[in-house]
Amino acid sequence: MNDSSWSVFVVLCVLVSFIVVGLRQKSRESVEYGFGGRYTGRIGGGAAIASNWMSAASLMGLAGVIYLQGYQALAYVIGWTGGYVLLLVLLASQIRRFGKFTAPDFVGERYGSSLARLMAAVISIAISVIYCVAQFKGIGLIFSFMFGIDYSRGVLFGGLAVVSYLVLSGMLGVPRNQQMLYFVIIVSFIVPLMWLAHRLGYFWLLPQFGYGEAIGDLSRSFNIDFTAPFAHGSLFNWCALCFTLMVGTAGLPHVLSRFYTVPNIRDARWSVVWGLFFIALIYWSAPAYAVFGRLLEAQQGAALTPEAARSIADVIILKTVVLAGLPGWLVGVLAAGALSAAFFTVAGLLMTGAASISYDIYFSILNPAASEAARMKVAKGGTLVLAALALLLSLNPPGLIAEITAIAFALAGNTIFPLFLLGIWWERANRQGAIAGMLTGVICTFADPLLGGILPGIAGWFPLTSSALCGAPLVVGVMIAVSLVTPAPPEEMRRFLAEEVHGHLDQDPSETDSLKA
Amino acid sequence: MSHQNKRYQVNLFRPRKGQMRDEVLIIFAILFGWGVCTFGFQILLAVCRGTGAEALLTRLTLFNLPLHFWFTGQFLPLWFIVLCVLFNLYIDRITQYHSRRRDRSYE
Repeated sequence: MNDSSWSVFVVLCVLVSFIVVGLRQKSRESVEYGFGGRYTGRIGGGAAIASNWMSAASLMGLAGVIYLQGYQALAYVIGWTGGYVLLLVLLASQIRRFGKFTAPDFVGERYGSSLARLMAAVISIAISVIYCVAQFKGIGLIFSFMFGIDYSRGVLFGGLAVVSYLVLSGMLGVPRNQQMLYFVIIVSFIVPLMWLAHRLGYFWLLPQFGYGEAIGDLSRSFNIDFTAPFAHGSLFNWCALCFTLMVGTAGLPHVLSRFYTVPNIRDARWSVVWGLFFIALIYWSAPAYAVFGRLLEAQQGAALTPEAARSIADVIILKTVVLAGLPGWLVGVLAAGALSAAFFTVAGLLMTGAASISYDIYFSILNPAASEAARMKVAKGGTLVLAALALLLSLNPPGLIAEITAIAFALAGNTIFPLFLLGIWWERANRQGAIAGMLTGVICTFADPLLGGILPGIAGWFPLTSSALCGAPLVVGVMIAVSLVTPAPPEEMRRFLAEEVHGHLDQDPSETDSLKA
Repeated sequence: MSHQNKRYQVNLFRPRKGQMRDEVLIIFAILFGWGVCTFGFQILLAVCRGTGAEALLTRLTLFNLPLHFWFTGQFLPLWFIVLCVLFNLYIDRITQYHSRRRDRSYE
């Protein structure tokens, strides 16, 4: 078998094994799994958080952008891990106590407005679609790599494969096994990397440290300075991107809803720590692929022009292992891990997007009398429409996988994050503030393409991938200003926030008063 | 502001007495550690450009990596994990303390 047929074989084995293991699990235990899999303790919860998070952006896009930009691209590593700190300290426990786990549900309930709910639903769906475009690009690249076809046919076949896999899993009722998914992803990412480090003669037991020597070799033998700070952008660019990814992480709808599956707040908090550790394992490793890729290119005298390097950046992990002459089955393992991550991310995003169309838009607003069957039909149709939309957009992708994903993060950070932040931490934030905030957030996110022509300076302050450094504070300011000049939210909601969300462990104020008396 | 309005006041910068005040304190402490290490270090790196201090940050190596690359690429994710652990330990403690005060079983 040659490399590509090995890849196809391994990928097929992995995807089928998810279905087989899922079905066995289902027949063994008659537990109702619900939203995102069964509860398996704090470590299991952490693995679920990490596998829910891992996508083509983490496994392919990250190494690609580091390969291109070196130190500058570490903003992605920091943004995608530091966001969990914000999420944990500012929102996790409070959202649990509030009791609403999808962004439209929270916005609708907290701000008491169906218009705000509709806007939050549309924004969440837009975030899902943009995120899916990046995944489809990854899937298309792997398909074109495996089958030796051109990119657009790779996207089409890949898209068909995802939708068929979704339909098949849905018909068989396969529960998602998040722990197994994380295990597959981490093994398929780390084992080829260790092999690669061994083949190149670096410390292979922990390639996360071994690649340091390769950086030295790059600069000594080939005069390539991989680590020069701010060589591909300014300090502002670095901080803006990093901040955007952080607030985006804390506002991403499919990340927020993870807190639903863990039975109590304490375990939810601790599973975030484990999740962050499991995510960091991948992010400590991704730069190694980028460095080894650069080194192999330099060694083989195949230095590329910047355009050519950009065109292969997203498949650099696969190119690197092929250049190093790793065995075909191992290339297949690496491709299978990245593909599984992309497949399940697309599946999760399409399902939550479709649920949002069916529940938040169709049932809550358009047709409150709709039957269960009608809602199901809308959800199924919605899945296909969203998949088709993302597929169409990914035929002509606007940038690298990491960059496309960053746009989704910017949108989340400019809209959902400020709404959650003020909704939880300021009782005075009201409906009008929320609506004005979301509008401002959408404008900030797309200021560069929308207003760049009229106001040339705007692209500097609101770059498309990193608009939230200026955008999120602006949205918070707009929300505060508008809320202060309009009536306060109903007393019932303020009482709920003060007593249930923040004062659940304190003496009831009336009790304190009576004690004093 | 009327008494009624004050009674239900929720504000990150004016926390109510008791559990919320303790919680907000640790939130600000963690956010400080998060912000200084993430953005403070990058600002330091940019400010030191072209001086001897930059050479110190970029030439010294740790685990074969230049210090600044190691700090950003490897130490910061670890630092975030440490911050989350500290936050959780502290919250566990204040939850326990305030639950006992209110005579509720510890969740």
